[in-house]
Amino acid sequence: MPVLSRLIPVLGVIVVATVVVLTRGAWLPAIGHALPAIWRIAKVTVAEARRRRVVQAVIILVAVILFSPTFFSYRSPYEQARTLISGGLAAIMVFGILLAIFVAAFLIPHEIETRTVYAVLAKPVRRFEFVLGKYLGALIILGVIVAVMTGVLVLVLVLQDKIVHDLPDSAFNPNLGPVLFAAAMNYCALAVLTGLIILISTVASTTMTVVSAFIIWAIGSGQTFFHDLAERASGASRVLLLVLYTIVPKLENFDFRNEASNFMSMSYVSGWHAVLQGIGYTFVVLLVAALFFNDRQV
Amino acid sequence: MENAEIVLQIEGLTKIYRSLFTPVGVRAVDNLSLAIRRGETYSMVGPNGSGKTTTLKILLGLIFPTRGTTSIFGKSISDLSVRERIGFLPEDAYLYDCFNGEELLDFYAGLFGYSKKTRAELTEELLTLVGMQANRRVPFRECSKGMRQRLALAQALVNDPELLILDEPTSGLDPAGRHQMTRLILELKRRGKTILLCSHFLAEVEEVCDRVGILYSGRLVAEGTLSELAGEPTEVLITTSKLEAHVAERVAQHPAVLNVEDETVRMGRAEESQVWAVLQAIHDAGGQILEIRRPRPTLQDVFVREIGEVRE
Repeated sequence: MPVLSRLIPVLGVIVVATVVVLTRGAWLPAIGHALPAIWRIAKVTVAEARRRRVVQAVIILVAVILFSPTFFSYRSPYEQARTLISGGLAAIMVFGILLAIFVAAFLIPHEIETRTVYAVLAKPVRRFEFVLGKYLGALIILGVIVAVMTGVLVLVLVLQDKIVHDLPDSAFNPNLGPVLFAAAMNYCALAVLTGLIILISTVASTTMTVVSAFIIWAIGSGQTFFHDLAERASGASRVLLLVLYTIVPKLENFDFRNEASNFMSMSYVSGWHAVLQGIGYTFVVLLVAALFFNDRQV
Repeated sequence: MENAEIVLQIEGLTKIYRSLFTPVGVRAVDNLSLAIRRGETYSMVGPNGSGKTTTLKILLGLIFPTRGTTSIFGKSISDLSVRERIGFLPEDAYLYDCFNGEELLDFYAGLFGYSKKTRAELTEELLTLVGMQANRRVPFRECSKGMRQRLALAQALVNDPELLILDEPTSGLDPAGRHQMTRLILELKRRGKTILLCSHFLAEVEEVCDRVGILYSGRLVAEGTLSELAGEPTEVLITTSKLEAHVAERVAQHPAVLNVEDETVRMGRAEESQVWAVLQAIHDAGGQILEIRRPRPTLQDVFVREIGEVRE
């Protein structure tokens, strides 16, 4: 059964890839024009983020945070591994989300404010291509950040494993597979959240977008609590809470920190379900964002 | 040029900005209609808030009209094939400052789907055209205002556009920079580009434009070629050597002479024979004639006159 649950995500990817390849005749010409434009806009988004150096600063900060627990003393190597993994994944998630919020919330408003969007939209670029390009750029930035932070965490775990390996009674388990899976799921959560932030930024001010993003993060990360709260409420507040519960992405479903840090067996199937739901959700969210931006006066 | 194909057409364009605080709205453009023909250089001039930039933004599809229509090459701007044939230079050169000149041009050329080789050739050609080869690797944020404007013009030319829309191309430039930009626009005009230009610098407009539209409060208050707008010369100015007092007095008594000041004899709309008579009188009195001019009103004069009339 564990083997099967590990195979399901792989089989899913193969099925999706096969469908994409087999139906290329239908979608390839339609997006043939869009892809270069989307890619160019994504590249300029990444270049702008690099210049601001916020990303580099956050990576250095997180690296320091990830390394710092190695200097503490622990009751056992097991406890040490548990703390390193749990703390490391939490740091990746928190800083990833903070960066996702601050990168995504400013992407489109900044272009409008600095009027760089004028010269781009005067070229043969459709507005949905612009939105998708911005989203792809944000995904690349966040991907690099999560990859670097995960790399640092893996390095910390491997080094620590080497240090304590020769000690008597060593039970240090870097648990690398589940850690990588949890980090990847973390990235998927960021991708979903980023899509939603971009949607909000097409209609709201930057401040409003940032505030909304924090609220969504809070609701999305505590879905179970939020659902219970909605069940206990009555009247209009119940309706409002249930609507929010329904439309806010269930970021909780992407959280595998507990399984990875407590050496529990990973539910890859539920991870795969979360990814599929996330893709569907993000597709709809970006579609709406493109429609809103299409009607926006810049 | 009158029979040439219409490249850009605006019909009954109105734009009203409404907000919570101004439910009635602010009328930025009011029933504007104009047409620009192939190869023509047309300038929209007007004071701040006259609707020039709003009109350009509507033309480019950045904002949407309240009423009226615009078309470029007979199609809507939402048609991608239109945007493949136009170039736009935004006011104040709003471009990505994370790039240098070379990277900027490569980026904008990439939006047209050009291959790497074509992009490299275009970049080289355009950097040469705008005189930025030596500064090609200077980051845009470190470029002077003049360099930025030249790069902004270069990005507008990456697709070798048939129609160029230039919004205040010389804004913020020093006299040398303005002169350089004017030379570039004249060169593009010589290459047969159709140009729509918005500018505050009327002398530069006068130098490059075939036709001018004067906008005030969103309305087109006057339109035509410079000579149509300026009308016929209304006076004759004769510059002479210093005239002795009694000579100046005698010349001033001529019915066609309005006045004599220092070394200038000013005549009204005089017939040729009357001008000859005055010249003869000056000559007979021993005066030396240095110059004879029939000056036309400048665009500045026309602008002040038209705006003044509308205000009244």
